[in-house]
Amino acid sequence: MRKLVWRNLMRNKRRTLFTVASLTMAVFLLCVLGALLQTFNPEETETSEKRVVVRHAVSLQFELPEAYWGRLETLDHVEAVSPLSWFGGIYKDTKPQNFFAQFATDPETLLDVFQGMEIDPAGSAAWLAERRSFIVGRALAESHGWQVGDEIFLQGEIYPTDLSLVLRGIFTYPSDESQENQIFFHHKYMEEALGNPGTVGTYWLRVDDLESVPVVIEAAEAMFENSDARVKAETEQAFAASFTEMLGNVELLFGAIGFAVVVSVFFITANTMAMAVRERIREISVLKTLGFGRRQILGGVTAESAVIGLSGGVLGVLLALLLVKAAARGLSGMFPLFSAMTLGPDVALPGLAVALGLGALSGFIPGYAMARSSIVEGLRKVG
Amino acid sequence: MSLPLKYSARSLVERRGTVLMTVASIAFVVLVYLGVLSLAGGLRSALATSGDPAQIVVLRDGALSETSSFFSLERGRELMTLPGIARDADGLLLAAGEVLILNNLPREDGSMSNVTFRGVAPISFRLRPELAIVDGRTFRPGSAELIVGRRLSERFPDLRLGSELEVGRLTFRVVGIYEAGGSSFDSEVWGAADALASAFRRAGYFSSALVRAPSEAEASALIQRIESDQRLNLQALTESDYYARQTAATTRQFVFLANALAVIMAIGACFAAANTMYAAVSARTREIATLRVLGFRRRNITAAFVLEAALLGLVAGLLGVLLSLPLNTISTGTTNFLTFSEITFSLRTTPRALISGVLLAVLTGVIGGLPPAWSAARRRIQEAMRAV
Repeated sequence: MRKLVWRNLMRNKRRTLFTVASLTMAVFLLCVLGALLQTFNPEETETSEKRVVVRHAVSLQFELPEAYWGRLETLDHVEAVSPLSWFGGIYKDTKPQNFFAQFATDPETLLDVFQGMEIDPAGSAAWLAERRSFIVGRALAESHGWQVGDEIFLQGEIYPTDLSLVLRGIFTYPSDESQENQIFFHHKYMEEALGNPGTVGTYWLRVDDLESVPVVIEAAEAMFENSDARVKAETEQAFAASFTEMLGNVELLFGAIGFAVVVSVFFITANTMAMAVRERIREISVLKTLGFGRRQILGGVTAESAVIGLSGGVLGVLLALLLVKAAARGLSGMFPLFSAMTLGPDVALPGLAVALGLGALSGFIPGYAMARSSIVEGLRKVG
Repeated sequence: MSLPLKYSARSLVERRGTVLMTVASIAFVVLVYLGVLSLAGGLRSALATSGDPAQIVVLRDGALSETSSFFSLERGRELMTLPGIARDADGLLLAAGEVLILNNLPREDGSMSNVTFRGVAPISFRLRPELAIVDGRTFRPGSAELIVGRRLSERFPDLRLGSELEVGRLTFRVVGIYEAGGSSFDSEVWGAADALASAFRRAGYFSSALVRAPSEAEASALIQRIESDQRLNLQALTESDYYARQTAATTRQFVFLANALAVIMAIGACFAAANTMYAAVSARTREIATLRVLGFRRRNITAAFVLEAALLGLVAGLLGVLLSLPLNTISTGTTNFLTFSEITFSLRTTPRALISGVLLAVLTGVIGGLPPAWSAARRRIQEAMRAV
């Protein structure tokens, strides 16, 4: 029987190949969509670092007083606090490839909060010493070809000042390479340029352990409950998710696209199998005459299309694995978020399952009809 | 002598079952393409209907949007003393300083998004004549009252008519719902500038100003006058340019997604079309040979099969278009990342998108149909005649 399935697949090699190719594209697409969706909803990764972000309760358009810094440091379970203000300046032009995250921060406390960040001692010392200096993640430095000592000019968009910065250190972030696509410079330098307004965009807190995170969030919000600037505190993951949340219902959009892809490819494979079975009516009737049961006929056809489905699935996943890094690089110019895109088994396996299921179902339907058809009718058919 | 169109069309009808399956698969490709493009189309239309070319948006120099712009009230007042700003019949200056505040609020599904609260002057209504109250009433000047765009109100439970919203130590009440002709103002909450500014502690600043030139032609002179004034340090652009700039920033990602999906899915569908056409060719081997004997040339036969594949694509394209039409009734929202705030819009399949969708389907059919059509014409007549 196994041989028969194989022979049948090879009977019209071109048709089998084309159907596999259609499935490959579909599974590839499903995998990429799945991987994209995952970058939108990063799961709570188990890291040793537990961070809480504190921002103005109204929205990020509002800043917090510098005085909150010292007060947040006094909270129980908080081990370090560092200010991070999104500068959002324009580097060269507004093209997406020249967009990257720029934060004004405090060099002394930054590495206490982001302990996964690594920078060589010489670079670190130079950065700490020079107020006009900045550090950059290795990935971003490489993509712009920056060397230590280079100067960059950022035109202020959110803040009414332009900044000229000099590169003094390149950092790496081994546990999370997506963190390497940003630069940090001195909060004090920006403050001076702005005439010392005494404000900070967000405060990042490192909490001693996971259990204390909810406690710290509650305490931070309560601390400023009756102040002019009330705060919202949330985990780092929740903060990151709030940006993708703003895009709207991406899950629904991608879900709808994925569904249409599956329906479309179902028509393709079902059509192929219908053609394959139709041209074999006489042959199948002969098999039945020879004593093959309905189940065996149905099983054979279903197995045949399941093999098509599985091959398409495997090829699609392989293609996606090959291209996901390139796609991530290509897309990150347009949406920096996608630089972290990876294809995990939790996306690839459902992709394979869908392909296998589609294949099997496509064979089952014509196979079922065929298994029940009358032998005499079948034998009478010509071509 | 070329084969009549009827031959190709009839051939399609002859093999209804398999043709329909292929048509359906290509139609879904078109549907996905049009679906994603309708997001871009909806956004574009919302932003394109906002903005009058005779009106000028004034921002702090360097700011790309009203969100990141602010300047002092004095500078705003100085701006309004510049010559060349239009006046209405009563001699009232058509210029309004406004305050723009982003407020992070929950959508109906619980996700959070920044909502634009626009603190306006009474004259602001004159500058957006498309805005009309459809439910409730407008806010009283100086009071803690708000009016909300209808589409926005439907998406945010805190912004329904009669809802109360705490801002600082004040409680604002939604007293009216308005419509603004599908423009981006439909995605805003309006209140009195002074009340909102003091509640959000933004008193003393304007975010932007909207001024009207007497005519579209005089707008550029007024822009120059504003930008060349060294004391002001402000930038100006026409309202239509301001919203056009946002169009590119917001629709780019959807156009990109639509094209990427279309290419990948169409490649898959090409194979399906090829399978169908190969089956058509092999079922008609003898027929083709007969045609050759009758004197039809190879290229006539190739052309007939390509035409058949193109027709198949055309039917699929039209079906895809038909399936996409109900999308136009859906309204949704996303974040405009240039203003960093929620923009609501209705999905819209533009005529241009529909035409590209049909072309995509025809192209898919033709590319899939070319190799089989080619092979059909190349079979040797004697061999083909012998085939069963």
